[in-house]
Amino acid sequence: MDAMSAIKQTFFQECEEQLAELEAGLLAIEAGEAEPDTVNAVFRAVHSIKGGAGAFSLAALVQFAHVFETALDQLRSGTLAPTPELLKVMLRAADLLADLVQAARTDQVVDEGRSQVLIDELNTIGGGLATDDDGGDGDMDGFVFNPVTVGFDFLDSVPAAPAAQSFSIRFKPRPELYAKGNETALVLRELERLGAIAVSCNTSELPELGELDPEGAYLDWSVELTTDKGEEAVREVFEFVEWDCELAIQAAGGAAADAGFDVEALLRSIQAEAAAEPVFAEPEPLALREPLTMAPAPGAAPAADAPSPAAKPGQARGEATAGAGAPQTIRADLERVDRLIDLVGELVINQAMLSQRVIEAGHAPGSAVAIGLDELEQLTREIQDCVMAIRAQAVKSVFQRMPRLVREVAGLTGKEVRLITDGEATEVDKTVIDRLTDPLTHMIRNAIDHGLEAPEARLAAGKPAEGVVRLSAMHRSGRIVIEVADDGAGINRPKVKQLAIAKGLIAADAVLSDEETDNLIFLPGFSTAAEVSNISGRGVGMDVVKRSIQSLGGRLSIASRPGKGSTFTMSLPLTLAVLDGMVVTVAGQTLVVPLTAIIETLQPKAADVHGFGGSARVIAIRDAFTPLIDIGRALGFRAQATDPAAAVAILVETEGGRRSALLVDTIQGQRQVVIKSLETNYGAVPGIAAATILGDGRVALILDVDAVVAETHADATLEPVLKAAG
Amino acid sequence: MSFLQHFKVLVVDDTTTSRILISESLQDMGIRQITLAKDGEHALRTIMAQPQHLVISDFNMPNLDGLGLLKAIRSYAPTRNTPFIILTGKSDRALLERAAALGVNNYLTKPFTTAQLKRAIEQIVGDLR
Repeated sequence: MDAMSAIKQTFFQECEEQLAELEAGLLAIEAGEAEPDTVNAVFRAVHSIKGGAGAFSLAALVQFAHVFETALDQLRSGTLAPTPELLKVMLRAADLLADLVQAARTDQVVDEGRSQVLIDELNTIGGGLATDDDGGDGDMDGFVFNPVTVGFDFLDSVPAAPAAQSFSIRFKPRPELYAKGNETALVLRELERLGAIAVSCNTSELPELGELDPEGAYLDWSVELTTDKGEEAVREVFEFVEWDCELAIQAAGGAAADAGFDVEALLRSIQAEAAAEPVFAEPEPLALREPLTMAPAPGAAPAADAPSPAAKPGQARGEATAGAGAPQTIRADLERVDRLIDLVGELVINQAMLSQRVIEAGHAPGSAVAIGLDELEQLTREIQDCVMAIRAQAVKSVFQRMPRLVREVAGLTGKEVRLITDGEATEVDKTVIDRLTDPLTHMIRNAIDHGLEAPEARLAAGKPAEGVVRLSAMHRSGRIVIEVADDGAGINRPKVKQLAIAKGLIAADAVLSDEETDNLIFLPGFSTAAEVSNISGRGVGMDVVKRSIQSLGGRLSIASRPGKGSTFTMSLPLTLAVLDGMVVTVAGQTLVVPLTAIIETLQPKAADVHGFGGSARVIAIRDAFTPLIDIGRALGFRAQATDPAAAVAILVETEGGRRSALLVDTIQGQRQVVIKSLETNYGAVPGIAAATILGDGRVALILDVDAVVAETHADATLEPVLKAAG
Repeated sequence: MSFLQHFKVLVVDDTTTSRILISESLQDMGIRQITLAKDGEHALRTIMAQPQHLVISDFNMPNLDGLGLLKAIRSYAPTRNTPFIILTGKSDRALLERAAALGVNNYLTKPFTTAQLKRAIEQIVGDLR
C-alpha cells in the first residue's frame, strides 16, 4: 500500500468515528439536548469529513457534505430551530453521508437522485443559502489579504541553541531513592557536567545520631546551575530518580521576563472568550494512533509555574497523562490473540491432566504438591479470564447500527418507532459480536414490521402512536442475554395456528399451549405476514435467525402477551472457547452437561418415577411432574431403560424455561472444559453440541441439552398429559 | 544550507487525516522537525515548552480554536512573533479579517496542494531551500 492510500484508510477510519459522533449528536439534539457543544461537535464532524474528502478529491462526498454543513451551520447560529422535522431530515442526511463515505471507500457510486433529493430538502430548509459551490468566495470582494513576512533574523533568533540559562534546583530525595541504589553524589556530578554549579545542602532535618533511621532520608540540596544545554538536559539528569524525590527546577535569568507567565490563566481567559461567542469549545477525546510523534501532552508546563517547591514535576506529568482521558490501547493482530487463546486452552487441559496424575499418584489433598497444583489451577483460570477479556468487546458496536435501521424500516412501514437501547457497554467475545449483527437486524425489522401496529391502530388501542422497541443487553449467569422487546400487539396466536395448519406444519387437531403456538414462528417455512413485505419477508424467516443463534451456542426464545407486545430473548455464551460443565457417565461414556442449564441434581426414588404410554416416564419433583429423559437411550448408547433408583437425575431448564430431568449413571464432577468443535473435526451429531478433551486425555462429548429435550418433547402427546397430571 | 533541517513546524488540526497530510507535505519540502498537536490547547502547551519557527493551524477545533490559539501565541512574549498560517474550510471574510487583526501571517483554504502550502510558507519566510 502506498503512502497516499494508507492515509486514505486513516481518513475512512476517522470518518467512521465522525459519523458515529454525528449520529449520536443528532439523536441527542432530537431528544431535546441542543447544547451548543453538541451542535458544534455535529457541525465539526461533517466539516472534517468534507475537509478530508476535499483532500482526496471525492467530489460527490464534498458536494453533499458542503450542503449538509451549511444547514448545520444555520442550526448552530440559531437561524434554524431544531424542530423534529428538521432533525428527521438531518438524520436522513447523516445516513446518506455514511453511504457516500462507504461508496467512496469501495469506489462505488451512490444514486445521484437520492443525494439530489436531500440536497434540495436541505437547501429548502436553509433558504437555498448553500447553492454556491464553494461557499463564500463571493463575499471576498475588496478584501485583500497580504501575507506578513518575517525576516531571517527572526528565524535565526528562534530556539535551536538556547543561550546560557540559570536554573534553581531544589532536590529532596525520599528514602526510596536510596533504597533503589541511587546516589545523590552521582546526580550532582551529572549536573556539574552541564555547567557551573553551586550546591548547598540543607541539614536542618537531620536528627541526632540516636534517632537517625539508617534507611531514612533527611537531606535536601539546593543547586544553582548555569548551563547552555537547556531545561530538557537538566531534567534528564533526574530521569531515573524523579519519582523518588521532591524536585523543583526553576528557570531563571533568560526566561525571567516570563517568570510570572501563567499559561492556565491565558487558556482560561481565551477559552472563556471563545465560549461567549458561538465558537467551538468542546473537549473531545482523541484516539492516539499517530504514526508520527505527537508533542508531549499537557503537563509540560514551565516549572516557573510550580506553586511550591513541593510540586513534583514527575507527578504532575503522570496526572496529566492520566487526565488526558482515553484509555491507552494497542492494536494486536487477531491471529496472535487467537493463538494465545488456543495455547491457554491447551494449558488448561494440561493442568487438569497434571492434577489427575497427582491424585492418581497418591498425593494427599493437603500435600505440598497438591497445594501447588491448586495454585497453578487458580493462576491458569486467571490467565484464561484475562486472555478472554482481550477478545471481549462492548455490544455497542452492533447496537449503534440499529438506530439507522429503525429509521429506515419505520419510514418504509409508515410506523412511528422509538428505539431505546440499554446495556451497550456489555462485553462479549468478538466472534459473538461479529455474528450478532445479522440476527439482530432481522429481529428488529421483525419487531417493527410484525410486532408494532400502525399509528392509527395503536391510538385505537389506547396506546401512544409511537411504538417502542427496546434493545437491551446484560450479563446473566455467565452468558450474555440480548432482548428485543416491542410494545406492539403481541403474537396473534389464532392466526399463527391457522397459518401453521394451512402450511401443514402441524396437524389440524393439534392441541398447543400458548408457548408452543408462539414457538411455531421459528419453524422453517413459516411467515406471518399475509403478503410478503419487502422488509421482513426477504426469504429469511425467524427459523434462520434461530439457527444462526444456535450455531453460536445460543438460544432464542419468545414471550408474548396479546395487546402488550412481544419479547425475543437470545442468550449467548460469552465466549465460544470454554464452558463450565458437569462431567457425567452414561453407559460407560463420559459426557459433559453445560452447567448453565443445570438447576439441581437429585437421587430419584423408585416411587417418584411413573411410566405412561410406551417408554415415556415422568418424575415427581416437589409435587410437580417433570419428564424424565434417559440419556443413555436418547443418545442410543443402550436399548434398555436405566433403573432410576440406581442412577442420578439432573434437573435442567432449557432457554424456553421448560424443565426436564436427565437420567445419567453417575456424576464425576464439575470442570471447565475447552470446547472443540465437532463439526469442524468430525461432523454434526444430533444431541451433541461439541467435544472436549478431559484431564486424563480422553475425548468427551458435550451434551446439547436443548436439542435432547426438544427431541424428546417432539413426542407431542406428552405435554397435555403432563398438564392434566400436574 | 541546513536551514530546513532546523526549521521547526507545529501542525495543529483535530483530524488525524489532516495532520498526516500536512506533515507529509512538509516532509516532501524537506522539513524534518514537525510536531503535531490535536487542538489549540495542546498546541499552546507545546509551543510554550518548545519554541517553533512556524505554526500551521486549522481554524475549527475543539478546546481552543485556531483564532484562540493565534491570540494566545501573540499575547505571550517569547512566541509573539512566531509565524502563523491559519487553515480554513472556505474563504470566510469575517474569519480572515479577525485573523488578520490578530496578526496572522498567511492563510490557506482547504484542500490545498503541497505546492500551495509551500508557497504560503515561502510568502512568509522566503524561499525554502
